[in-house]
Amino acid sequence: METRIRNIFLGAALLALSSQVFSQQGPQAEASANANQSVIEPDLQRRDINESNIDSENIEIGVFVGVLSIEDFSSSTVVGASVAYHVNEDFFVQANYGQSEAGRTSFEILSGGAPFLTDEERDYSYYNLSLGYNLNGEVFLTKNLVFNSATYFTLGAGSTDFGGDDRFTLSIGAGYKLLLTDYFAVHVGLKDHIFNSEIIGEEKSTHNIEYGIGATFFF
Amino acid sequence: MTKWIVLIGLMVSTGWVNAEDEFPEVQIVEPYIDMHTGPARGYPVFYVAEKGEWIRVLKRRTNWFKVRTEKGKEGWVKQQDLQLTLNSKGEPVEVADGSFESYQSRSFEFGASGGSLESVPSLSAFASWVITENISTELSYTQALGDFSESRLALLSVTHTTFPEWRVSPYFRLGVGQIQTKPRANLVQSGEETRRNDLLAGSIGVRYYLTQNFVLRLEYQNLLALTERDENEELEEWKLGFAIFF
Repeated sequence: METRIRNIFLGAALLALSSQVFSQQGPQAEASANANQSVIEPDLQRRDINESNIDSENIEIGVFVGVLSIEDFSSSTVVGASVAYHVNEDFFVQANYGQSEAGRTSFEILSGGAPFLTDEERDYSYYNLSLGYNLNGEVFLTKNLVFNSATYFTLGAGSTDFGGDDRFTLSIGAGYKLLLTDYFAVHVGLKDHIFNSEIIGEEKSTHNIEYGIGATFFF
Repeated sequence: MTKWIVLIGLMVSTGWVNAEDEFPEVQIVEPYIDMHTGPARGYPVFYVAEKGEWIRVLKRRTNWFKVRTEKGKEGWVKQQDLQLTLNSKGEPVEVADGSFESYQSRSFEFGASGGSLESVPSLSAFASWVITENISTELSYTQALGDFSESRLALLSVTHTTFPEWRVSPYFRLGVGQIQTKPRANLVQSGEETRRNDLLAGSIGVRYYLTQNFVLRLEYQNLLALTERDENEELEEWKLGFAIFF
């Protein structure tokens, strides 16, 4: 490229000289030299950076599906959605919402007696707001195929609507995400939802463990 | 279905083509600039762009910027490094970072808080619109979950921030709304029923501009539920929360 430009320039200079010396056509030669000048120093319009013309991708929105083991009420499919805001490379805040439906307790199945809960009371839904911490990393699938990844931990509080009541719920979670592109990630995660329940008689603290996969987009 | 795919494809492709020219560019003036493989510390430096080179800034993730060099290399550059480059006018590049100044000129805030309403855990979400530097309006929704009942509060309020120029700044708030109290399912049989009452609220709190576009706030709220009984019910709430502003 550079050689070619130099050749053009030399050619132009030669042309200019020859026209100066042999035919005295000054103005024309000047014009052709100017034309070549513009190839060498193009007049570029560059956009300057400011807050509004840079695309900030700090919000991560996604969906997940998994299995939720509802204490005493067997395990069911859970589906949900999440929104996260990344404060910096380490911390994020996250809101989650999930829905599931409880099955029957072993007592209900074995005794064949009256059910503990109505169908409506078996609907299980939760929301929580968590603070998360990322451990960023990389995964080398093959020698040339490398993806960024993060292992993360979350701690949060929220509410679970189950058995006809809303219950204050603590959520502890850990997950792993693989960023297939800058803005698309797949997740695997494990969460424990802890709340007090008196549905089967005496009040106790229940652990409802959820695991699943998810997909998120950064906006 | 096919129509949607075509539409999305069209949006993506046209967006990409247009965007190519629209990316802002900066020129490196330091001897070199480090390009990392990912937007966090610890990601290895895989390429260095040289002094005098123009680089396109594609996007931002927290304090990292994805850039493309003239040779087509793409990588992530730290904000501190980007601020050592120059723009087309030869001025140092400045990228606002949600500074205290931008906090003072904010127009919206969204946030959440957790606390205790009459010794029962409570969770709130709120959105506020900043009208002047002193006055803002706020809409909030609170859920308090106790052993005997569950309360939901919705409030519309006006906040006065007396010293908006202070980083740690006190504020006062007055609000009106409604409270709904629902007894636990196992208490319904004993004759308890769901009540709904109008609510007056007065708060005093302090807010602290933390970093970037984050604010912390600590608040004490006194609530008066206007009941149909002889006496109104007075409630107290403490809460600690955060807000993101735009």
